[in-house]
Order: sequence, then C-alpha cells, then structure tokens
Amino acid sequence: MAEQLYPARRKLPLRKQVNVTLVNPIQSPAGRMDSVEAIAAGFEMQGYITNPQIATSIYLAQNLQKPLLVEGPPGVGKTELAIATAKYLDLPLVRLQCYEGLDESKALYEWKYGKQLLYTQILRETLGDVLQGATGLSESMNKLHQFSDVFFSEQFLEERPLMKAMRSPVGAVLLIDELDKADQEFESFLLELLSEYQISIPEIGTIKATVKPVVFLTSNNTRELSDALKRRCLHLYIPFPDTELERKIIASRVPDISVKLRNELVAFVQELRGLDLKKLPAVSETIDWARTLLLLHANTLEPEMVRNTLNVILKFQDDIEMVGAQVSSLTSDAIKASKRPLGV
Amino acid sequence: MDQTLGDFIKALRNADVRVSSTEVVDAHEVVDLVGYTDRALLKNALALVLPKTSDEKNIYDYTFDRFFKFDELDEMEMADRNEAAGDPSIVPQQDDTAGQEGQGQGEGGGKGCAQRGAEGDGAPDITGAVQQAEMRESLSSLSQMVLSGDRAGLSVAMAEAGEAVGLRNIHIFTQKGLYGRRILEHMGLKALNGDISELRKRDNPSAAELAERLRKGREYLLSQVRDYVEQQFLLHADADGSHLREDILSKSRLTNIERRDYRMVQEMVRKMAKRLIAIHSRRRKVYDRGALDIRKTMAKNHAYDGVPFDIRWKSVKIDRPKVVAICDVSGSVAKVAHFMLMFLYSLNEVMPKVRSFAFSGRMGEVTDLFKDCDVEEAMSKTLYEWGQGSTDYGRSLQDFAELALNDIDSRTTVIILGDARSNYGDPGSEIMKKIYERAKWVMWLNPEEKNTWNYADSVMRKFQPYCHQVQVCNSLTHLERIVSSVLRSAT
Repeated sequence: MAEQLYPARRKLPLRKQVNVTLVNPIQSPAGRMDSVEAIAAGFEMQGYITNPQIATSIYLAQNLQKPLLVEGPPGVGKTELAIATAKYLDLPLVRLQCYEGLDESKALYEWKYGKQLLYTQILRETLGDVLQGATGLSESMNKLHQFSDVFFSEQFLEERPLMKAMRSPVGAVLLIDELDKADQEFESFLLELLSEYQISIPEIGTIKATVKPVVFLTSNNTRELSDALKRRCLHLYIPFPDTELERKIIASRVPDISVKLRNELVAFVQELRGLDLKKLPAVSETIDWARTLLLLHANTLEPEMVRNTLNVILKFQDDIEMVGAQVSSLTSDAIKASKRPLGV
Repeated sequence: MDQTLGDFIKALRNADVRVSSTEVVDAHEVVDLVGYTDRALLKNALALVLPKTSDEKNIYDYTFDRFFKFDELDEMEMADRNEAAGDPSIVPQQDDTAGQEGQGQGEGGGKGCAQRGAEGDGAPDITGAVQQAEMRESLSSLSQMVLSGDRAGLSVAMAEAGEAVGLRNIHIFTQKGLYGRRILEHMGLKALNGDISELRKRDNPSAAELAERLRKGREYLLSQVRDYVEQQFLLHADADGSHLREDILSKSRLTNIERRDYRMVQEMVRKMAKRLIAIHSRRRKVYDRGALDIRKTMAKNHAYDGVPFDIRWKSVKIDRPKVVAICDVSGSVAKVAHFMLMFLYSLNEVMPKVRSFAFSGRMGEVTDLFKDCDVEEAMSKTLYEWGQGSTDYGRSLQDFAELALNDIDSRTTVIILGDARSNYGDPGSEIMKKIYERAKWVMWLNPEEKNTWNYADSVMRKFQPYCHQVQVCNSLTHLERIVSSVLRSAT
C-alpha cells in the first residue's frame, strides 16, 4: 500500500554516500521511508503506535543517516521502537545490551585465541622449511619477513555485535540498548562508529560498513551521556503516552479487550501517573494489566479486582499499599474520566 | 531562509540550549529535507537535532512557539479582519464610523465597502471616499500601508527595518528605545509625519479625517514596533545580559557579591558542582587482585609466546572521592562561608561521601542537616547553630578529632575553609598534624589575600606545614578551580 501512495523515493541530496550502493533495494524498500505519514502507517501495521515525533525521528534517522538516541522512562517502548523498525524495513536486528564493564572485545571483535595458538605451533614446526637455505641471522629474518603474516588477520577474527552489524551485506538495524549502563570509555569508543560508520582495529586497519546500519541507542538516563555522543545523534525523548495514544496502543496490542474496559483502565493508569509513586507504571505495565483483566473476564473496573491486580502495574510494596488505600475513589474517578471526550 | 534558522538557533542558545556547530549543520540538513511549509513537522524534526536533554526540549518547545509566533498570529488577525470587512451581513447595522473603518481595510475590504456605499448612506460618502482615494495615491508607502491596515505588509516592513538597523545586536535593555526609533525611521516615519501635517493643512473635511486616521494608525504602529523590539530583545539579548552578569559574578570577590545576586550565584554554584561531579565522580581502577582474567591475560601475552608473563585481573573498582569539608562560619569569614556552604550543599546533593562540619567556637557536623533541608534552611540553621561564638581553632579541632578523626583514612581529602584567625588562642596545630598524617590530601582555603596571612592574629604559618596545599579562595572561579583539583586528586 505504501508503495503505491509514495512511489518515488526521494534522492538523498545531503550526504555523500561513500562505499554504499546508492539505492539499496533492501534498505530502502521503495517509498517505505518516504514520508512521515507512510512511516506512521507502516509502524501501526507492525503493532507499534507512533506519535508524530517518533515517526519524524525515524524519517530523519533514515534520510539523514544518523544514529537515533532514544531516551525516556523505562517501559515506554524504546527498545520496541528498534525492533519495530527492523521488522518494518525487513532487516536483521543486531542487539547489543550494555552493562558496566562492557568493552570492545565483547562489543566489537575478539581474536580466536585457541586457533591463533595452534597457528603459532604449526608455524614453529614448519619454521625449518620456511627458513631453508638461509645462512646467518639477518638472512633468516629477511626470509621470515617475506613470509605473509596471518596471525592478526580476518581469519582469526571473531565477530561481535557491532562488527556483525557493520559487515552485514544487506544492512542491519543495530540496537545499542541501555547505553547509560556502560562506562564512559565505551561511549567514547562508539564515537567513530556513530559518525563515520567505520571502526578501527589496530592490528588490521579500518573497516567500513558495507551498508550503513540504522543505529538506535537507548538510555534510561541513569547517567548523563557525553556531549560528544549526543552531538552525533538525533535525540528523541519518549515520554509517557497521553490518553489518546495509550488507548490506541492498548487497542493494537490487546485487540480483544472491550472499548469500555480499555478506556477505563487507561484512565486509571493515567491517574496513577499523577500520584507520587516510587515507580510510575509505564505502557508495558498497562498492556500487561489489560491482558490480566482480559484473562479475568472483566467488563468494567471494580475496586476489588483492581486491588487484587495492582501488583501487575505497581512494582513496589509501598506504592501498592498507598494506592490500595484509595482504590475505590481512584476507580470511580477513572470510570468518570473514561466517559469524558478526549481533549477536555 | 537560512537567516531565519540562524536566528532561531541564536535564540535557542540565548535560552541556554547548547547547540554545537555540527548540530547547526544537521539543522540545515533537516530544513532542506522537511522544508518550512509544515510547521508541526518542522518543529518535531528540529526537536530531534537541536535540544538534547528533556530540559532542553521544554525550552525548545517554548522558544519555537515564541519565535515562529509572530507571523502566524498576524495572519490570523488579518483573516479575521478581512472576513469582518468582506462580509456585508455583519456591517449594515453599524453606523458611519464602522463604514469608514471598513474603507480602511483597503484591498481586502474594498468590495464590502463599495457594496455598503451603494446600499445605504448615499452620495456624499461616495464622493468623500473617491476624494480620499485620490489623496491616498499621493501619500508615502508607509502611510498607505497604515491606512489600508495591511498588517502583514507592516510586519514585513518592520522585520526588514529591524534587519537593516541590526536589531539582532541589541544587548541591554537601555537600547530598546534607540532601536525602536531607528526602526521607525527606517520604515519612513518622517514621511508619515509629513503626510499628516500636509493633510491637516488642506482645508477639507475628508482630508482632516484621513489625517486623523493616519494619526491613529501611527499610534498603532508605534506600539507594534515597541512590542516587536521588546520581543526581539527577549529573544536575543536577555540571556546575553545574564551571561554577562554571570561572567562578572564568577570573577568578583565573594565578599563583594550583593545579596540580591545570591540566587543567581546559587544557581551557578549548583551548575558548577554538577559539572565537576560529572567529570570526576566515576573513576574506574583495575585492581591487582581478585579473579584472573584469562582472556585478557592471553591476549596480552601473545607477545611473550603465550607465556603468562603479564597477568590481568578481572576486578575493577569504581572509585568515588571521599571528602571531609570543614568550614569556618564565624563573623570574619561569614560571607565566604556562605558560598562555601552553598557549594558543600551542592556537592552533597550529587556525591554520597561528603561529610561537612561547621565551626566557630565549637565544631559540629552538619552533614545530616544538608541532607534533610533545602539549601536556604540548611545554611541559616548552620549559621545559627554554629556561627555564634568567637573563633577558637584549638577547641574546634579538638571537637573534630572526637567526631571524625577515625573516619579519615588514606582515601580521604580534607578541605578546610578559614582565615586562621584564632583570636590569639591555641591554634591546635597538633591535631592538624594528626589529620595531615592520616588523610590523603589536606587543603586549606583562605579567603584572605596572601599578604595578610600571619598578620595580627592570623596563625596561618602554624597550619601551613600540615597542609598539602594552601590556596587563596575568594571568588567562584577560584572555588571551581580548587574543587576540580580536589576531585581529581581525590580519586
């Protein structure tokens, strides 16, 4: 459908595409990335409901070929966004989960030590053949230098996620998840990759991406990311969704739920976000709750049932106790609010 | 078009959004891609490139709306007025003055006007209108625009004039009048004035009426220009001014900073603390013990033919500086102490291991106070509780020894702020010696200039041998430099 609506892919006038086949049929299925509306519609078909900001960010990330840094509270669909993009573009998703102490040998490449050791042993055994006929130390050394050095070569290179994404022949969606959990050093290490789509391996040289991957970085803001990194990325902040968007999301994710219950539970969760809680319920929790209520065959929010299922949306005992005490009033408020038209 | 974007970025920078030059390039690419036509799209698109924190996003939203508001509002008003003038069904009930105003609409309202003239009020008005139309031909372009109520034209002329006189360079509020006048001159106020007096000279009722309308239009124009200058001033100069003030404040001596500037300084101190902490708070050190990192060891020892010669360990330790701060809060250093406390408070907010002490006659720990209260309350409580007596270094250090000497170890940095004026009492330097022996680093900050040290009751020379570092500290710039070095050495 999108193909017919948006026939011509606009040429990219902006960035010189070095080393990239100009129109890669897989990375840019005709028209899929042609307008914000097409993206929004396409993502909706994947079950990911976007708001204009999110759709715009995907549009720009693709057209400017820049990495997209996604921030926001946990559970609003930062990771999902990357997964949906991979599905939408029909590209493999390469995911790198960050944690403290992550370094390049786990993220980028590693040498196959075992094989390398075997190689040195084989080399030692065949050394006599190689050096045959050489007299004197300097001549031997010369002969040895002529011998091609495969010790640090691609044969012994073990690919890790980043390298995999760079060398994928069809392109890839690279998701660097929860970057704030990694160390500052790792962040700096990413800079070359993010701006040039290339990586330097001291022993081999520079490796460029065959097809530039679509890069997503996510952060929960446990630590401020460096300016250098932010400068190289588009920055998208996904807040908690408003009532309208959340209703749409529930409708798409839990299609069996009745409209009435859906509106009520969305109103309830929206109310909870106004309270002073340790951890506010996110979209993922709303979805879980909707599924739970569906399983329990609920038709409408009832205080007793809400109280029993609070642990689905609230993750701290303090929060559950605090909300539990006022469930009745919250429920009746939510039912009232769900009947009000939107935007009032 | 690029000028517009440039101005917008400048406005953003003024509003404290940090925009680097690469981001400017990105913004241009974005504009090339999405264009100016779809306002919502442009806003969403630029929001991805320019602001990079959620705080900045809020500022961005506000600035974007304010920056691109001018045109839109005007168009709306224009549309309203055109509608009112063009729609005869509204007007017939109204009297002559309304009809004249309708004529004032010019092109937009012309049709409605003619209809109305034919409908009701009869011939004299028509001749009046024709005469006026003739007279209008001879007026200056500005007068014509004012008469025809061409707001869009006026705002364009205003923007052009603003451009021509360099309104963007406005720095301080006293320049507002000057720029307003220059813009008006550039737009042709002189000609407009000339037209008015010219029309008044003619002995003709419709000319006088026209002059009166021009006069009213001129007033409207003046207020518009004033608004415009005001708006541009807020956009372009507001922050310039405050940056200037921040700059001056950071260099002036703490004792000279006025009370009314405290709030601003407080904000600066907080920014400073945050920045310093961000740079220094997490330093990882590889420990030479713990589990063997086989992978790294092998990698490292390839060079030695696989013989594990250079051994690597897995455990990595995150170091956070441990700081003990002691602050003299007696009368003689009260003003500086104020800022020192402010800074300590900010440090406390972001760093877990700061213990703070305050003293004058006796010493007490204020760490918990800083944790529980807000900054104003914490400082006034500290000053009230510990800032009463006359300074007694010996006694206070004795108190400190009882309170916290055991907590000082080879990872602790001790910062002491005081003028070392002990009212000729025992300075308690033997306790200083103990602190010096135990701590990693001892630093003494003295708010007095060096040449007054050791003068009168100052006993700086008694403390100096037991400090690793002695510094004059009486401005925010000093403070920042010193604390930065503390945080660096403390890790």
